[in-house]
Amino acid sequence: MSSTIKQPKNLSKRVKWLRDYYFKGLNREWNNEYLSYTTGTEWDVQYDEIAFYITPEAYAFLQIMKSSHNQNARKVKLGSNFFAMSLPERKAEFLREVMVNYVPHDIVDNDLIAGGRFNVVTSKGWTKKEANARNKRVYGKNGARAMMKWFHNHGYGNSGATSGHIIADYEKILKYGFKEVYNQLADIFANYSEQDKLGKKGDQIKAMMIAAKMPKQLAVKYKEKCIKLAKDEKDESRKNELLLMAKNLDVVPWNGATNFYEAIQSLWMTHMLIMADENYPGPGVSFGRIDQYLLPYYEQSISDGMTKEFMKEILGCFWFHCNTAYDAQIGVGGNQGITAGFGQLFNLSGLGKDNVDMTNDLTYLFLEVIDDMSPILEPKPNVRLHQNSPEKLMDTVVDMILSSQGAPFLLNFDERSMAGMLREAKRANLEKLINLDNVFDYASVGCLENTMVGNDRSGTVDNNLNLLKAVELALNNGKDLLPYTDEMTGKTDKLRQDGPITGTNDDLDTFDKFYQAYVEQTKYIIKKIVELYEVTESLRAEFSPTPYLSLLVNGCADQGLDVTQGGAEISLTTIEGVTYATTVDSLLAIKYLVYDKKECTLEQLVTALKDNWVGHEILQAKAKNRAPKYGRDNDETDEFAKKVMDNWAEETWVHKTKSTNRRFRPGMLSWNYWVGDGYIMAASANGREKGKFLSNAICPSNGTDINGPTSNSNSVGKVLGGKSEEFGDFGNYVNCLPNGASHTITFSSSLLKNKGHKDKFKAFLYGYTKNGGTALQINLLDVNMLKEAQKHPKDYRHLLVRVTGYNAYFASIGKELQDEIIAREIHNSF
Amino acid sequence: MIDKSGLILNIQRMSTEDGPGIRTSVFFKGCSLKCPWCHNPESIKSSKEIEWFQVNCIGCETCIKLCDYDALTMTKHGISIDREKCILCLKCIEECPGLALEVKGVEWSVQDLFNEIIKDKAYFLKNGGGITLSGGEVLIQADFVASLLEKLKKENINTAIDTCGYVNKSAIDKVFYNTDLFLFDIKLIDELEHTKLTGQSNNLVLENLLYLVERMKQSNNKKLWIRTPIIPNSTDSINNIKGIAKFIKNNIEDNMERWELCAFNNLCNDKYERLDKVWEYKDANLITKEHMEKLKEAAINEGINENKVSWTGTTAL
Repeated sequence: MSSTIKQPKNLSKRVKWLRDYYFKGLNREWNNEYLSYTTGTEWDVQYDEIAFYITPEAYAFLQIMKSSHNQNARKVKLGSNFFAMSLPERKAEFLREVMVNYVPHDIVDNDLIAGGRFNVVTSKGWTKKEANARNKRVYGKNGARAMMKWFHNHGYGNSGATSGHIIADYEKILKYGFKEVYNQLADIFANYSEQDKLGKKGDQIKAMMIAAKMPKQLAVKYKEKCIKLAKDEKDESRKNELLLMAKNLDVVPWNGATNFYEAIQSLWMTHMLIMADENYPGPGVSFGRIDQYLLPYYEQSISDGMTKEFMKEILGCFWFHCNTAYDAQIGVGGNQGITAGFGQLFNLSGLGKDNVDMTNDLTYLFLEVIDDMSPILEPKPNVRLHQNSPEKLMDTVVDMILSSQGAPFLLNFDERSMAGMLREAKRANLEKLINLDNVFDYASVGCLENTMVGNDRSGTVDNNLNLLKAVELALNNGKDLLPYTDEMTGKTDKLRQDGPITGTNDDLDTFDKFYQAYVEQTKYIIKKIVELYEVTESLRAEFSPTPYLSLLVNGCADQGLDVTQGGAEISLTTIEGVTYATTVDSLLAIKYLVYDKKECTLEQLVTALKDNWVGHEILQAKAKNRAPKYGRDNDETDEFAKKVMDNWAEETWVHKTKSTNRRFRPGMLSWNYWVGDGYIMAASANGREKGKFLSNAICPSNGTDINGPTSNSNSVGKVLGGKSEEFGDFGNYVNCLPNGASHTITFSSSLLKNKGHKDKFKAFLYGYTKNGGTALQINLLDVNMLKEAQKHPKDYRHLLVRVTGYNAYFASIGKELQDEIIAREIHNSF
Repeated sequence: MIDKSGLILNIQRMSTEDGPGIRTSVFFKGCSLKCPWCHNPESIKSSKEIEWFQVNCIGCETCIKLCDYDALTMTKHGISIDREKCILCLKCIEECPGLALEVKGVEWSVQDLFNEIIKDKAYFLKNGGGITLSGGEVLIQADFVASLLEKLKKENINTAIDTCGYVNKSAIDKVFYNTDLFLFDIKLIDELEHTKLTGQSNNLVLENLLYLVERMKQSNNKKLWIRTPIIPNSTDSINNIKGIAKFIKNNIEDNMERWELCAFNNLCNDKYERLDKVWEYKDANLITKEHMEKLKEAAINEGINENKVSWTGTTAL
């Protein structure tokens, strides 16, 4: 049998070369490593750490990053009036100058798309006064950095106004080009009163006009480069390719694209400049419904006679460029948190108006390219499914999941997702902007975070809150269970009355009273994260405009407001609830142990948690095994889980940012926090020890999912709101998390072994459209997990292996048979 | 009718091997045959049994302290159950902190069981998924099963019965109307061999099958799958398959949609150990792929439509 590692296939010589070249990494002569640029003033700052406050792995490097970018920064020659301009104009002008006149304009061998280097760290363009004011608020004793660290160290989670996580209005640029955008800005400015022209709105529009010229000027540079390379090129066909690239750059992105090739060139350059503008490679800067808005260009080119093979070559180059985002820190070995996984996401397929399926030829072309190119990290596909997704699409999706040992894409589920967007419309008074006539055009950013397109910034990863913290505070009357000790200094903080006083053992003599204490503490932790967010949000709004990105987000030009100041028509921010299942299971365990079975008092339970369960093993086992758990499709338990969900989600909607008037909305994405924060948070009442993982997003806790994938999915659907004829938001679907919720299920590959089984898996996916959540990541049971389970059977006691018609608990079947199952998994020969 | 309860061993959701589509399988406790290769030995006895799972045990001895009958002791190998002394009061099971002690066999009312097993209705809709009632021998509890099937059919849910065939003919009558698919085992065609291995003659099995097929002929939309477990040195001979093929060809082929040859697997030894039993097939090898192909070929050579015969299961690497 073949090896289980999926290999790329069917690649043209060119695409194979580019793909191989990319994976050479540091051995490449060309790369896209960060380039830093400064105004040359002594107070200049390039690295704006606020964008990295949501990546705890980066905390240890903030100071190093700041100084290393500063040391390496090249001075940019600026006009004498530079500091006389407004801050947004300085920002726009600095970036324009860097991209057009400083960053090398390289064309990689064989490449068909221009736009190589975009990983830049540019001066924030501050005057001395601005820099001082900003620095005090960031680095000061009670500044943003200190507040952020306290919040994280005490187990609340993290928060920071960060970059990306947005879908720009690429469709507008493809259709009309930046010329149209520039002209509109000029009109807006011309119609301003004299007062506005001289005021903040005028400054913003002028900055955006500078930014709008940047793509044109950059295209000219690349065009000249192509012509020069063509001149020296001996190979006739490569010479012609370079000349065709030059011809494309004459048109786009300044003008609208007229064919598929121009459209991809335009899309790439427009997109890469967002990453340049934000100084952040690929953080959920997503493409939206790419198979929809590119379709007219595809059809045009097909009728012009362009072959699918050539289109696949163009797309192969596009894939190459997306991946070079990872080069940012290639020189220092890369992974300092930010390079752990980007998310230049695009959606395929999905519903259109009147519930019509929008799958088209281009959808399948993209799926082919994904299949040919994978495994590769970027761009990230997300396939939208719904009740009436065509069988052919489902077949392709299932085949690709099987051949890639886990899906090479995420799956989004339209009905539940759209219900969430419509709920958002009601809760945030956005019904004019999100309604039945356009909700189907929603798309996902990053991984699965649902937003509208081209006019929506919803801060989908800006606030990550450990819901479990409220249980901890309720158990200990508003104080941490364990005092925090700083690893560097060894200094231990005193326990403080951080949360409200909600009572102790004697006061909380019924579970209802305990639950009320939890509700109070939840209010407190949400207020706490809202306040922390305000610190970075207001700093960004005041000091870090992104005028180029603002060009591409509708609402900014009309209001004369930068996107960082709440300029988007839909300008929300999201609290991602982390540790949901751990929270629900802990509350259920408290109810079971303390109030229903009276196995211990609340005080005794608190002692057990402070002791990390050591010496309390019987109680721990009862908490783990006997207390009810979310994720088992038990109606009573799931109803309680829903109550917990509604409580925090409703509390989230209450808040708005002060500085930018963005309403908070709820979602569930845990990125990798559920792993790292497991070492920070004290033991929890569900039996978890400190240092063990928390639960991931909306998934049941590890090991509690004993009734299989359908039961797990039903629980997820129910806690999002299930279905209701009366209160349905889209048809009878209800979804209280407009952002969506990350759900991962691991399947045994034996489930997908032959045609009959693939049909069964399709049936599962169709069932999920009815009963499940908004998004699903499918993993196939892998050999490493089985080996882990063999080593640590107690952690995997519920791991079921399904071997054709027979299910067995892996942990209980004896080493020899375990070895055999592992061997079969390696050979994929069930 | 209303107070009836069924003794259920296990409910398996998202089952993919017990009929078309995604199914929820219900395993009933108690069997009318005693096949020595049985993969679900805990399903044979018609009453409850206790099992101890080593991996779940935290060694707290809560169970021993609770037992009023001295049926539990801690040994070198863990908890030992004296099945003579145990009166199945289940006190230990209700309190075991690690869920290391489990009872095999739980009573369910028709209504509760129905509510539980239709939870996956949304997943049944494509590819003919539904509910499979299996065992043990499900038709031993025919009255309970009949009530359950009636409810399921009212909800328009596809139903399957998985039977060994060694049951009263009246049991078939009770469930016939509300069953869409019968999964019917023919293990051995030779009567003496059948008696020797399963403890019973196959006369009744084959008579029941013929009776079922007669009834099917008068009714539309009923399907029949024959299943033959392929067990090393027991049912895996070419002759046995040839004999079964002849029987099928002569009697039931037109009404049979599929014949599955199910390869032996060796994963259940731990189940025997938990019941303090020794499994005769503990060291038996898996069937080879070549042999499974050969058996399929033998069936086809006897005139069985090749699209109807298939083999499933794990074969030797």
